[in-house]
Amino acid sequence: MNSLLWLIPAIPGLGAAVNGLFGRHLGKRASAAIACGSVAASFLLALGFFFTRFLAEGGASARVEQSLFEWIPSMGVEWAYRLDSLSMVMTLVVTGIGLLIHIYSVGYMSHDGGFSRFFAYLNLFTFFMLNLVLGANMLLLFIGWEGVGLCSYLLIGFWFERPAAAQAGKKAFIVNRIGDAGFILAVFLTFVTFGTLDFYGVMGEIASADMQGGVLTAIGVLLFVGAAGKSAQIPLYVWLPDAMEGPTPVSALIHAATMVTAGVYMVARSGVLFSHAPAALALVATVGALTAIFAATIALFQTDIKKVLAYSTVSQLGYMFLGAGVGAFAAAIFHLMTHAFFKACLFLGSGSVIHAMEHAEHASGGHRHYTEMQDMRNMGGLLRHMPRTGWTFIVATIAIAGIPPLAGFFSKDEILWKTFEHGHFVLWGIAAAAAVMTAFYMSRQVIMTFLGDFRGGAAMEKHLHESAPSMTVPLVILAAGSVVAGFVGVPSALGGSYRLHTFLEPAIYAGGQAPPAMPHNYALEYALMALSVALAAAGIWFAWRRYRNAPTRDASLAGSGAYRLLLNKYYVDEIYDATAVNGTLRGGEGLYRLDQRVVDGAVNGSARVTMLSADLSDLSDRNVVDRAVNLVAEILGAASTRFRRLQSGLFQSYALLMLLAVVLLAGALVLWS
Amino acid sequence: MSDALASLGRFLPELLLMGALAVVIVADLATQAWSLARSRNLLVGLTLAGLGAAFVASLGEPGGGSLFASMIADDGLLGVLRPLFALTAIFTLLFSLRAKELDGARMGEMVALLLTVTAALMWMAGSVNLVMIYLSLETVSVASYIMVGYRSSDRLSNEASLKYILFGAVSTGVMLFGLSLLYGLTGTLDLYGVRAALAAEDAGPALILVLLLVAGGIGFKIAAVPFHFWCPDVYTGASTPVTAFLSVGPKAAGFAVLIRFFYSGIAQPGADGTFAAVGGVDWQGLIIVLAVVTMTLGNVAALLQTNMKRLLAYSSIAHAGTILIGAAALSSEGIGAIVTYLVIYLFMNLGAFLVVILVHRVTGTFELEGYAGFWKRSPLLTVAMGIFLFSLMGIPPFAGFFAKLYVFAAAVEAELGWLAVVGVLNSAVAAFYYIKVLRIMAVDPGDGELPALRFSRLDGALLLALVTPNVVGILFGGALEQISEIAQRLLDLA
Amino acid sequence: MTAAQVVFYGACLVMLGSALYVVLGRNLVHCAFALVATLVGVAAFYVFLGADFLAGAQVLIYVGGILTLLLFGVMLTNRIYDLKISTGAVQVFPGAVAAGLVFAVLVWIIRSVDWNAMDTGAPGPTSEPLGKLLIGDYLLPFEIASVLLLIALMGAAMLVRRRTRP
Repeated sequence: MNSLLWLIPAIPGLGAAVNGLFGRHLGKRASAAIACGSVAASFLLALGFFFTRFLAEGGASARVEQSLFEWIPSMGVEWAYRLDSLSMVMTLVVTGIGLLIHIYSVGYMSHDGGFSRFFAYLNLFTFFMLNLVLGANMLLLFIGWEGVGLCSYLLIGFWFERPAAAQAGKKAFIVNRIGDAGFILAVFLTFVTFGTLDFYGVMGEIASADMQGGVLTAIGVLLFVGAAGKSAQIPLYVWLPDAMEGPTPVSALIHAATMVTAGVYMVARSGVLFSHAPAALALVATVGALTAIFAATIALFQTDIKKVLAYSTVSQLGYMFLGAGVGAFAAAIFHLMTHAFFKACLFLGSGSVIHAMEHAEHASGGHRHYTEMQDMRNMGGLLRHMPRTGWTFIVATIAIAGIPPLAGFFSKDEILWKTFEHGHFVLWGIAAAAAVMTAFYMSRQVIMTFLGDFRGGAAMEKHLHESAPSMTVPLVILAAGSVVAGFVGVPSALGGSYRLHTFLEPAIYAGGQAPPAMPHNYALEYALMALSVALAAAGIWFAWRRYRNAPTRDASLAGSGAYRLLLNKYYVDEIYDATAVNGTLRGGEGLYRLDQRVVDGAVNGSARVTMLSADLSDLSDRNVVDRAVNLVAEILGAASTRFRRLQSGLFQSYALLMLLAVVLLAGALVLWS
Repeated sequence: MSDALASLGRFLPELLLMGALAVVIVADLATQAWSLARSRNLLVGLTLAGLGAAFVASLGEPGGGSLFASMIADDGLLGVLRPLFALTAIFTLLFSLRAKELDGARMGEMVALLLTVTAALMWMAGSVNLVMIYLSLETVSVASYIMVGYRSSDRLSNEASLKYILFGAVSTGVMLFGLSLLYGLTGTLDLYGVRAALAAEDAGPALILVLLLVAGGIGFKIAAVPFHFWCPDVYTGASTPVTAFLSVGPKAAGFAVLIRFFYSGIAQPGADGTFAAVGGVDWQGLIIVLAVVTMTLGNVAALLQTNMKRLLAYSSIAHAGTILIGAAALSSEGIGAIVTYLVIYLFMNLGAFLVVILVHRVTGTFELEGYAGFWKRSPLLTVAMGIFLFSLMGIPPFAGFFAKLYVFAAAVEAELGWLAVVGVLNSAVAAFYYIKVLRIMAVDPGDGELPALRFSRLDGALLLALVTPNVVGILFGGALEQISEIAQRLLDLA
Repeated sequence: MTAAQVVFYGACLVMLGSALYVVLGRNLVHCAFALVATLVGVAAFYVFLGADFLAGAQVLIYVGGILTLLLFGVMLTNRIYDLKISTGAVQVFPGAVAAGLVFAVLVWIIRSVDWNAMDTGAPGPTSEPLGKLLIGDYLLPFEIASVLLLIALMGAAMLVRRRTRP
């Protein structure tokens, strides 16, 4: 069984190759079958491993390792996969939720011209994502990391005939360059420090030598720069909301459930390292909490159904980093898992809504822009027309809001509790405020979309109908998951045993020691639990009061500065454009000028001098070079005209610059030695 | 004399090339009366056979000794670079069949030049004697000048050629001056003799001058700032296959000379694969400065280009800077990293130029605007370009990642971590202009309805041959390291 | 001052003066003749260095061959005979600074270095050892030089040839 491990990533990889190379000749059915089938096969294999190896007694510390070949011998790096409890959970999330989204996409993309291309990308994404979570060393993780990024850009820009989509793809790419620069530097620093890139090797060495701070802080910060890029944290979050230009299943799979959580996975995977670098950990927690509240405030008044979810995702990722940052890595992964269920459900639900809206618009003969079809102000009352989509959406909303006993309650509450327990009261306050906002904006979204009356016009309303079963069945499954997924991590305060946490700990603290558990303080925990439920309920109640009878009442706020600030996302994009982007370009222009224009200027100057001294004879030329050239050319009887036009002044200037540079270099070298 | 005879056996690739040169010159004369297409086919066929034979002959383990009375080192470095040059020439020849600029051009001189320059590149990479270094470099230069000016009716081509000649003359002249000063300092032309003399006695400030003058000559060949001024103009003026060739072949040979001169001539191998400068001048700083300036200026200037060939010119300057990081490491690993980079660079850069050639065939322009709307006309070409550009960016899972990885790793190992940081940041900047090209190809609408592209079978084969290494290269770290390990076996280290 | 020194500095003067005239002169034919003087001056240097073969080759090839060819060309091309050539002075100031700097560096280095002087035995004929070296140790450079010349010849012919075929 162990030797089959490589098949988990390989099968979707093969599916991608087949669909990518022959997809056009296969027809949609075969394309879809290959894509879904390959992910299903991986999922079944993963389940097989789970049941045979990890569910048994002591299965939490089970490890399946497979080294395929020696990959980079000089660094001692092998192409090796490792399945431990942490990657097991991730693999199940990736293949399981991935499978549902693949199935959903069959319906969602059924009329798209790039059907097989879409599935090739999706499979390729799954392949790289599985490499990411199964890679036994940092480099293999990095390959997966960049690979999923690549697929993400391709999928964001899938509808690249929409300029916004192309722009979004480019933005995601560029922003991630910054993060990835941090990551690769962390890889180098790790290798220099430990001489290995194997996660267990590195973590074991840190634990056994009981290193503290110093280089670990540097590695941790660099890793977090990478994580902040991929997982959309401040200040690199700007690409994720724009990424919603991609097809909705992509938003669900890549930009909610899996890829964007890779940063959280990586931090948890390096749990030992971060535990020994408190400064880096504090940075993770602070940035996480700030991102959580920052993104939540932006989500408050967005009108695009997907934009709300996008900012919500950024905010929830902030929660996960907050959890990891206070040392509760297992809680972060727990939230990652429950979030995968309800956020995938929400995104797919929004996709179902958009699908229905666009269909109805076409059927009623309208041709409004696609952004109008995603605008919640044009929706309302959809629950009547699409009950399955509506109800699953509502279930997922309750889950994300944190109402017990749904999944979000357990995971989010645990992060809040751990934050408080570790004494980060300010961060706790921030996170609690963000929780209220989450409940508020999600309820607002449900009210604007599904309740009340339809605001898109009667003509359109006639054509609204529920989506196909290939789309609603995954929704139902995901909604069910949103209800029950939390039960794997019931806290001891509620009679549970933190099953997921005990399961994950041997992997997170591989080679090291899990920190000792804090003494239980159930009374405080109950109090905070009650408080957080009350906060969630308050958020829902506010939204209900405010929007129940007037879903579009935000329009009246248009004069308010704060409202505009939030609606325009704090103008962060504009600020980045004005500073970083323009700054780079302008710097580039400056340097380019130094290279070209200085020379040109000198040439122009020299041209004037030359003009003054030029002989009147039209055969004469401007200077030495051309003279010599003409001489040769004339003597050989060839036409000299073609050489005349040489901008001969350039040459002298270049030569002069070279000469000066050599002199300068000489001076530098003399000083250096 | 017996040494010369004995050396001939290890000199087979070069001899084959010279034989092919004689054959194509005669064949060109003999077929003057033939139709253009017919003589062209014959000449290309003959040249291809010669290059192919040289490629095959150059494979296999290097001998390890020196040839022709210590003129040429028959060592690992040459052993790796010989097939690389032959392969570059083969691709260039096939490119030239598809380049619109060379449609209807006579091929007689072109193939003769290609064969000569390929042989000269091999001489250059093997030279361990100052005279040989100069002569082979000059041969490469002269042949390159003529190749750049091949389209004698084209004004740009002529200007470029003349500019190249003038810069080349200055640079090689400067280098020759440096070499003669070095001879004056050490009394020997043999690189290893130079090292011995310098190790015995510090040369003082004169050596600084020598290093700068020689760096000028080498910098010209690899297009390092501030010896790069010719590069954008020449790349733009030359026909695209020639540009592709220049960006790979002479650059690789230039780095070989750099390794020979700096690592064998004025440095001594120490323990655990490191090198230490001899002669009293710490030249590591020189290489570091050149690397940083070259990378940064190349990348930044590329940001603003609107002509594809100019963009690739600046990109090739930037890559030269990145490779120089490996040279600054002063270690065997650094040598290995340089060669690994060059091998991968061959596939990614020639690939990008192939796309440029194919696009020019249908659009007749090298301006970036001409690339608009290519996704609709040929998704295949767009995807291929994407792969080449991502590889040039150094993003996994494409082979270019390995190129950068090894160079940066060598720098980090040599405790030049900050240089690696500069390199990584530069790679991030480079992403801007590469992605711009892709965006234009995939997203910008072209003017009106353009017909779909049709590829010849040759185009398909070339694309496949260049795309495949970039895609699957990531799996072959072991093989790459074998190549790198062979390349590290310099004459005195074997 | 010995006689040899007088001759040496005389040759220097001739060489520099005629070289200056080549650069600054306005009449092409006069310039070509001045170039003759420069090249002969270089040959004199070779004599001083004991390189008898090189000196002879310099006179034979450059003065006797190349320059004569050049003058033939000039005289046969009647248009060029009357051609007045002006040399624009380009970037006088920075050029002078750079040249001055380079000159200073060169002088400093030449004076500060202990050159590895060859043994100064009485100069003898060099053609025989030179010939032996060229077909012995330096066989390969010798052959490569022939390839270089071949390709240069070919290139020169190609660059000036008008298209014979479309």
